[in-house]
Amino acid sequence: MLERLPPEIVALLVTRRFRDGDVVNLGIGMPLYCALNPPQDVEVIYHSEQGLLGFGPILDPVPDGHRLQTAGGHFVAPRPGMSFMSHDASFALVRGGFIDYTVLGALEVDAEGNLANFMRPGRLSGSVGGAPDLAQCARNTYVMMTHTSRDGAPKVVQRCTLPLTAARCVDRIYTDVAVMQVLDGKMMVEEYAPGWTLDDIQHITGAQLVASPVMREISLQ
Amino acid sequence: MQRRGEHPVINKVVPSFDEAVSDVNDGASIHVGGFIGPADWPAYLISALGRKGAKDLTVACCNMSGIGPIAREQLAGEEALRGFTGMAGTGMDHVTVALLIERGQVRKGITTFSAPMRGSTGSAFESMLEQGRIQLELVGQGTLAERIRAAKAGIPAFYTPVGVGTPLAAGRETRTFDGVECVLEQALHADFALIRAAAADRYGNLVWEHPSSFNATMAGAATITIAEVDRLVDVGDLGPAEIEVPGVLVDRVVVRPPVPMKSWREEH
Repeated sequence: MLERLPPEIVALLVTRRFRDGDVVNLGIGMPLYCALNPPQDVEVIYHSEQGLLGFGPILDPVPDGHRLQTAGGHFVAPRPGMSFMSHDASFALVRGGFIDYTVLGALEVDAEGNLANFMRPGRLSGSVGGAPDLAQCARNTYVMMTHTSRDGAPKVVQRCTLPLTAARCVDRIYTDVAVMQVLDGKMMVEEYAPGWTLDDIQHITGAQLVASPVMREISLQ
Repeated sequence: MQRRGEHPVINKVVPSFDEAVSDVNDGASIHVGGFIGPADWPAYLISALGRKGAKDLTVACCNMSGIGPIAREQLAGEEALRGFTGMAGTGMDHVTVALLIERGQVRKGITTFSAPMRGSTGSAFESMLEQGRIQLELVGQGTLAERIRAAKAGIPAFYTPVGVGTPLAAGRETRTFDGVECVLEQALHADFALIRAAAADRYGNLVWEHPSSFNATMAGAATITIAEVDRLVDVGDLGPAEIEVPGVLVDRVVVRPPVPMKSWREEH
């Protein structure tokens, strides 16, 4: 049985891309792991949809009466340099291209970089949040998710079947099995979990995979 | 506007929440501020509107998922507190727009969240939707915020690249600018805006101590803007650089009582 990576490790693969001064918005779901263990040696500015920029670490336990929260509902510490704004100003930052990285969860991502994450199959109702703006307008749109759904169905697919949140927007996909770059309609495997082969990954993937010229086994070194 | 001798005196303070929403009638369109935490929501104004019972409302609100206080009363302890977004709530004071939904007062919701949040007990909106008792217009958060901002800024419509090629922009006019396809989105004005701020003066000048979220965005995007505030201060106490929303955008101010809300059913 091939082993899948725990979300803490996948989060490290994502956050090691962040550089000083990068503005980062983390979605709910698996991207939370990026916030639980933020890079210590890099000064990243975290953005939250309701008009919160530059907040500190997640608090646990939460002091009585503490109110500062992220859009995902997590209580966070204030941090020097932090600023507040209205919701419209917050999304002016998003559409204006001031967000360097957004890391979002997904139900499906396809080879064209289309993202579906707001409506589950058979539902009338959805949770779209700020994902359409973030996915479309961030300089780098990353998806962080399990490679397959709970019942084993591929989430990396040739063409999304669920309603799209944003079209042609995803740059990279980080799963518990592989890191894939979405480029010119191709799903290119850049890194794979230890022990896995391209064939193993293809077996649980709906999209045609291509090996990146720099494909290598995931290493945390 | 009250008068002192011959000179008009600006005083937007209304003595009670029930009086503040007394002219919100059936069929009204309403913007409701509020996001994640209890302190983001105009809980007393929402409760007063629940008591008034105005129905067939069109409500624009960022987060319309979660269960309402009526359902929460029927649940016990921990389960009840998980009703909103999975975080610990603060009892009855955590009244959100879900109250108006579960009471059947909302005909249409314009929102970014209608489905139950991860780990939550449920969504009053989704239950009503399954029964065909409410209509849903699902909108991305940036587009919702800008449509509301545009309404107060006198911009009837704007183009945005967000939503192109998705069901969220279905039926919209499109146009390409510098090679980027955009959709035309219309301003979203309402009859009333119910918002929450930290402090106000009698001019209606508003300040926040936390991100103002949709509360500041919605101020002025309605014919009547009603602000629920924690504190009333004297004119002059709020510095001009500190005021986030100038009072000209605000029509009514109601001050929250210092003690926590016991029940949405009681007048305060």
